[in-house]
Amino acid sequence: MDFLTVTNELLKGFGQNCLLFALTLLMAIPLGLVISMGSMSRIAPLKVFTRTVVWIIRGTPLMLQLMVVFYLPALFFEVNLERFHAAVIAFVINYAAYFSEIFRGGIEAIPKGQYEAGYVLGMKKSQIFFKVVLLQVVKRITAPMGNEIITLIKDTSLARIIYVAEMLLTAENIVAQKVIVWPLFYTGVYFLVFCGALTLLFRFIEKKLDYYKG
Amino acid sequence: MALLEVKNIKKHFGKTEVLKDISFSLDKGEVLAIIGSSGSGKTTLLRCINFLETPQAGVIAVGDEVLFDGSDPAKKKDKEIRKNRLHFGMVFQQFNLFPQYTVYENLILAPKLLAKEKLKAGETYMGESSYRAAVDKIKEEAEQLLEKVGLTEKRDEYPCNLSGGQQQRVAIARALALNPDVLCFDEPTSALDPELTGEVLNVIKGLKSSDSTMIVVTHEISFARDVADKVIFMADGVIEEEGTPQQVIENPQSPRTQAFLSRFNRFSD
Ligand SMILES: Nc1ncnc2c1ncn2[C@@H]1O[C@H](COP(=O)(O)OP(=O)(O)OP(=O)(O)O)[C@@H](O)[C@H]1O
Ligand SMILES: [Mg+2]
Repeated sequence: MDFLTVTNELLKGFGQNCLLFALTLLMAIPLGLVISMGSMSRIAPLKVFTRTVVWIIRGTPLMLQLMVVFYLPALFFEVNLERFHAAVIAFVINYAAYFSEIFRGGIEAIPKGQYEAGYVLGMKKSQIFFKVVLLQVVKRITAPMGNEIITLIKDTSLARIIYVAEMLLTAENIVAQKVIVWPLFYTGVYFLVFCGALTLLFRFIEKKLDYYKG
Repeated sequence: MALLEVKNIKKHFGKTEVLKDISFSLDKGEVLAIIGSSGSGKTTLLRCINFLETPQAGVIAVGDEVLFDGSDPAKKKDKEIRKNRLHFGMVFQQFNLFPQYTVYENLILAPKLLAKEKLKAGETYMGESSYRAAVDKIKEEAEQLLEKVGLTEKRDEYPCNLSGGQQQRVAIARALALNPDVLCFDEPTSALDPELTGEVLNVIKGLKSSDSTMIVVTHEISFARDVADKVIFMADGVIEEEGTPQQVIENPQSPRTQAFLSRFNRFSD
């Protein structure tokens, strides 16, 4: 099997990784925001419930969660989820939990004085959030979100545990059929390039937000 | 008639009684200095006046308008409170400037939002009925305020590049940009290095000559003596002594006031 064919095969697999990555980001960010609101809620039962759920999700392996989401419905409800759908669900839930903690940390780090200054200037709660607090939160969470998002693209290869045809599974199949090893190592290049681009992107955002301190 | 009337304000947090029946009044253009030891309730009183805390009882009135009445639940609605806050300005000990905005943007942010809202509701802002004209006026006034606090050349700096004294002067200008009836200061110089307190106190002195009505919580006894028309000494949530600076600072009657002031005199001698 020549280099070009392998490159193409792996690229097809990596398409699955990228799709999983994009869908997870798209859904886990808003869901994470909702969860962070729950975990900061003044309604005690809601807060305790949300924090417990987040604790469970963050305290168990993503690989296990993938298997639970994929196999459990089939075992107990005779519902057969499509592999890729199951992967998206597990990833969104898992990453939303992580994001929610980052959002919560970012929001709670804003000094109370910022809100109070807005109040005494006659601003509405929503105006204070969007005009005063939001950018400060974004600045504070850029670095941890960058880390998490870089981890996400690498984590997508875990989906092979439920046989989603992502790049690592593709490579493993090639290795098994053709009795060559190098395609497996070659997958690392894709991840490296992708992570490199993400790193540059986040460095750029951090630079953009570096115009003020505090 | 008094501009500000505060009557029988009571505030407790759980079981801790912080304000026990506070009443005072203030005429237009007067400066009130509030002194008192730590924990006596000075900050809480200012926060109640600015509706950052809700007292359990009492009345707050500006002119002939009752803004707060502890026995009237209609006065506790969010929208009502927000409108009422505009009668007051507040300068915090920690400045609380918005770090992502320049000095100038800090000044015009809230007035622009307010102008937009008022014009949308069919009202006028500073006599203007078009947003464009209102914003022009807001900008013009912001420039004037910067000049007033001596920071014209810092107009486009971010707060992080200013000294504490400069930041506090911006905070004062920001509060003035909404033309409050009464401007409140909570220990405006306490977070500053000693050599920077003078510039802030001078700005406040300057406001007195332009007829602003002010309440200043301060530990600067000599400032209170020189600038205030009225001094209140608070102790344990009550007004222990009240009067002119001559009465309260030079000639205190209450033993607690005497004890408090003698501690300060020992420092300044
Ligand atoms: N949110 C709150 N919850 C509970 N207790 C509070 C709260 N805010 C203030 N207190 C209590 O109220 C009392 C008065 O506090 P306050 O901050 O008004 O005093 P102060 O006169 O401003 O003191 P300082 O000179 O130290 O600023 C203190 O005993 C304080 O612990
Ligand atoms: Mg205080």
